[in-house]
Order: sequence, then structure tokens, then C-alpha cells
Amino acid sequence: MSQTYSFTLPRQEARQALRRNQNTVRFKMPISLGPVSHTVLIALMLAVLGLVYLTQITKTSTFGYQLNDLSTKKDQLASENSDLQVETARLQALERVQQSNVAKALTTPAQTDYANTN
Amino acid sequence: MKQHLTHIPRTRLLIGLIIALGAMFTVRLFYLQVVQHDYYEKQAELEHTTKFTIPATRGLIYALDGADKYAPLVLNEPVYTVYADPTYVKDEPKVADVMRRVAGGNTVANFEDGLKNKDTRYAVLARQVSKAQADLITKENLDGVGVQPQTKRVYPEDQLASQTLGFVNGEGKGQYGIEQALNNDLAGKDGALRAVTDVHGIPISVGANSVQVAPQNGKNVVLTIDRNVQSKAEQILKTGLDRAKATKGSILVMDPNSGHILAIANLPTYNPNDFGKVEDYTVFSSRAVDDPYEPGSVIKALTMATGLDQGIIQPTTTYNNTGTVKIEDAVIRNVLTSPTGAITMTQVLQYSFNTGAVQVLQWLGGGQINTNGKQKLYDYFTQHFMFGQPTKVDLAGEPNGEIIPPDDPQGGNVRYANMSFGQGMSATMLQVLTAFGAAINGGVYYSPQIIDGYLGDDGKAFTPKSSVIKKSGVISQDASAKLRQMLHDAREGSSASAGEKGGYFIGGKTGTAQVYDPKTGNYSSTDTIGSYVGFGGKDKPQYVIMIRVDDAHNGGYSGSAAAAPIFTELSNWMLDYLQIQPKG
Repeated sequence: MSQTYSFTLPRQEARQALRRNQNTVRFKMPISLGPVSHTVLIALMLAVLGLVYLTQITKTSTFGYQLNDLSTKKDQLASENSDLQVETARLQALERVQQSNVAKALTTPAQTDYANTN
Repeated sequence: MKQHLTHIPRTRLLIGLIIALGAMFTVRLFYLQVVQHDYYEKQAELEHTTKFTIPATRGLIYALDGADKYAPLVLNEPVYTVYADPTYVKDEPKVADVMRRVAGGNTVANFEDGLKNKDTRYAVLARQVSKAQADLITKENLDGVGVQPQTKRVYPEDQLASQTLGFVNGEGKGQYGIEQALNNDLAGKDGALRAVTDVHGIPISVGANSVQVAPQNGKNVVLTIDRNVQSKAEQILKTGLDRAKATKGSILVMDPNSGHILAIANLPTYNPNDFGKVEDYTVFSSRAVDDPYEPGSVIKALTMATGLDQGIIQPTTTYNNTGTVKIEDAVIRNVLTSPTGAITMTQVLQYSFNTGAVQVLQWLGGGQINTNGKQKLYDYFTQHFMFGQPTKVDLAGEPNGEIIPPDDPQGGNVRYANMSFGQGMSATMLQVLTAFGAAINGGVYYSPQIIDGYLGDDGKAFTPKSSVIKKSGVISQDASAKLRQMLHDAREGSSASAGEKGGYFIGGKTGTAQVYDPKTGNYSSTDTIGSYVGFGGKDKPQYVIMIRVDDAHNGGYSGSAAAAPIFTELSNWMLDYLQIQPKG
């Protein structure tokens, strides 16, 4: 005749077995926060969040100004570049070159010889 | 009967009122924040954001400077407009003094009146002041005075190729020449910036609602004009007109093997930097491109081309020159009215015999001027040489010219006899020279081209524009070769070749056209327009040149006395400039 055995731990022991690796001692803070403290803490947190928000917004605005400054500088440099291009072109204009002392000193060659390139 | 009043406690009444008020506020807030959300959001956005226009930079225009370099002909220069908001101006005498001292030459007329006018918020004090002047004015910290940046078109070569370039008017629109013809390409497209701004209107952030559309700058155009050829053509035209005691004239230079226009010179001319000072607006037009005229005997070259291509003449074909020919009730005369007997077709070009050109027209009709002959000449002039239609060059104001068809009541025999030597029709110099180029280059009609390509914003990347062949087989290659030789021989045998450099293959044809006088309704007995059209090169034409002199007073026939020497001088220079080695 065969017998079947069932093995069951009592409930309390089973719970303890599951928490074997946990602290079984519970510490209780001697000081508890009241409703006023909670309110102050929440207010402080809101203030900090507000400050963070304001800092970010100011930062964005500061970047906006920096962007504007850089854009203005870029425009100024482009403007100076255009000025210089115009000045260069005026100085290199054919009529001005022809009126230069160097051009006036040039003479027509008496004879032209051609190199045979064939 | 005793009445019992219902007693409502005051506390409950107060609570009820507060709840009712709260409900009203809630409903109102719901309406404003939820129902009207989009509307108020839009209003707030409009208040906080500003839309700025980012102006596109107008494209620059360059000319060729030799074979592989570019030289700027049109640039943009930053300039400033000084304005005042008279309601904010506190010290009018000081503002007026600074304006006179710093921007004296640029102040607008009676700007002091504008300063005093408190009804306006914007009064222009000075225009087109330089950056240095604008900086000085800004440093003065004048209340109610500001400067606005703008750009001004600058033409550093002054009057060089001015009629080809055109100018840009006060509204920023191109007028005449390339500036008008390519206005859309040059202008580009303005960009836009919408951004949150501070109280001074300065954009401070680029948020989700900020939009920036970059401007599309105008294209930088490189012309086929070579500034060295252009400059020389203008100089030679000036000396040539002085020599001929004339005031009006034009030169057109092209490459017949590509249709590229190398120079367009017109006198009188103007400086586009000072276009506002011009009193005679006709100088804005490029007469070589937009002024059709009766070209006269230069057209005989094309009549000969027609005869050669039709196989009815050869250079040595002769006819009996009687000095005059009677067509219906009109008598057509040569310059030399005496009969000469047998004359070859080459001699017709050499001595410019009108009767010879009329003879070719008669041969086209089988021996007489008839509908068949006239139709053939009309077909060649309009379908081969493309007269009577614009060449579609990228320049403003090009007309059709006029070739009257033979079935028109005006297209009678006398008209067509005249057309065979370039009278009774009208064409621009550009049309004539392009057709001439096609006749002597082997029979290929290249559409005349003024744009060589486009230059990138970096000034380096170049996108070339291809030449366009409008028609091949304008005349056969054989006919073209014969025509070249005829034009060369005719030139060599005439006074037109005087002063010509030896060792080259040069050819050409004179033309002295009578001018229609609207007062008498007939041709003028004194005024003529002298023309010369010719080619030059070593073995084959490498350039074609057309000269026009309107009012020569140096005696002789203006085609040979005034226009031909200008051609020779420029042709000699072109041979050196293109470094063409002489034969032998």
C-alpha cells in the first residue's frame, strides 16, 4: 500500500521564508511631518521648479539675443565684403587701368614674330 | 391667518452666492479658454511675434575677361537711407546740422520741412549714404532719427556696355538690357522670418511658432561680352564717328561659330550709375539690338547666298550691267550709272551694283521678277536668315523687323527689287549679323547668345549655357564657301581693305542705305546710314563684325567712307587679340 504525503508550511513561516533576504526590523522615524511642513515643502518645490522654468526661458531669450548679434555681425561683414568687392572692381576697371602711368608707358611693338606651333 | 416666512440662513445664502459667482466665472473662463481658444491664441501670437522680410540679394553680372576669367560689370553696394520720425525729434536744428555736415550731398530736397511735419511718422532725410556716413549719424544718437540698410546697383566700369546692362530703377525693377530681360532671375525671391520679439522688435527666440524661410538669391550671370573687346569697340567707334563727323553709331561683334556676342557698342551712351541724370531717354536703348532699319547693300551678300544655294549663280556668273534697270514704273540705278557690260557676281559685291542684286532676283523667278522668284527670296529671308522675327536674345526690347510677303498688296515687284539690295525691308543689326554669320560659317544659324553661363554664390562654380542651333543648312556648305571667297575677293578689290593686316582671310560688304524722310514721304536726298558687315580669321571666319554709322558728314558714301574704316581698325585689333597667326 502506497501513501501520499503533502508538505505544507504554516502561512506565517511561508511569508518569512519569502522575505528571508530582507530586513525584518522596521525602523520608525521619531519625527513626523505635519500638514504645514508638507505645504511648505510643496511651495518650495514649486518655487524651485518656477526658477528652473524661468532660467530656461531666460536662456532661450539670451540665445535669441546672441543669435541676433551674430546675425548683425554677419550682415556687417557681408556689407564690408561687398564694399571691398566694389572698391576692387573700381580699381581694376579698364578705363582706370588705361589711365594708369604703367599703361601709358607701354609702347606698341615694332615687329611681331609668331612661334610655329604646328 | 398667520403667515410663516421661510427662513434661509445668511450663511447658506452667502455660500449660494459664492457658488453662483464661481459658476459664472467658470462658465466665462470655459468660454474664453476653451471655446474662444483659437481666437485668443492667434491674438496673443500676433502681439508677440513679428514678421521680418529677409531680402534676396540681386544677382551680379560679369563679363568675360579674356578666355577664362571674369570681370564684374554690375555689383551691389550697401547704402543707407536716413529717416526721421518727426514726433520723436527733439532737437530739429541739431538734426538738420548733422545731416548737412555728414550727408550734405545725399540729403533730399527740403528735408528740413519733413523734420517739422508732425503729421507724418516717416520723413526721409537722405538717401544712398555710405556706411561711414551712416555710422557717423548713428553715433550722434539723435532722437527720432534712424538709418535703414539698402543695396544700390553699382557699375564699376561706368559706361562700358551700359545699354547692354540696363539699370535698376527706384522700385528695384530692371530697366533695359539684361537687367530688364533677366529681372526675375536676377531679383531672386525674398525670404521671411516670423519670430517672438522684445519691446525693441528684436527677435529673441526661435520657438515652435517661429518660421524662417531662407531667401533665394538672384542668379549671378556671366555674359558672353568680353570686356576687352567691348572697351576696344567703344574706343574705335568713338574715334571712327569723330573721323566721319558723325554722332550716332553702333558696333556689334560676334563669334559666328557659336552665336556668342562679344561686344555691343552704341554711341551716344550714358553712365548707368547716374541714369537719373539722363535727359535724352533714347540713349538707354541698345540701337544695335532694338532699332530696326533698312540695312541697304550689306543684304546683297544674303541675296548672293540665296542665288548660290539655289544653284542659279556662281561667283563667276556674269550679267550685262546697263547701269539701270526698269521695274514697272520705277527705275533702279547703280551708284555708277554708266553701263559696264559683263559683270561677275563677285564684282556685283565689289562695286555694289544694285542691278546685279535685282538680276539674281530675276533669275530666281526664271528670268523675271515674278511671284515664284519673290516667294523664294521671301522664304530665304524669313525661313533661312530668320528676318521678320526676334532672335530671342536675352535683351529687352527686341523688335521683329519687317519683311513684307509677296502676297501682300505692298509686296509688289518694285518692293522685292529693292529688298534684293536691302531697301524696302527692315532689320536690326543683330538680325543682319546673325544671318550673315550663318551664311559664311557653313550654313548654321546659331541663335545669338549674350549669356555665357551662371556663376555660383561662391564665385567659382560655373554652369555654362549651351549654344543653340536654330537651323542647320541655311545654305549649303559649298555655297557658304563660295560666298566667303566672293566677299574676300570683293573686299580685296575695293577701297574697304585699305589699312588691312596682310596674311589673313578677311571679307565683307559695304552698305549705304537711303533713309526714309517722314516729312516728304520719300527717301532723303542727303541722309544715309552707312553699314559694313564682315568677317575675319586665318582660314575660316573666327569673328564677324557689323558697323553702323547714322549721320556721317565726311563725304563719299558712308558705307565705305565712314563704316568700312571702323571695321578694318577693329578687325586688325581682333586678329591680335585672338592671337591669330597669319598665313605663310
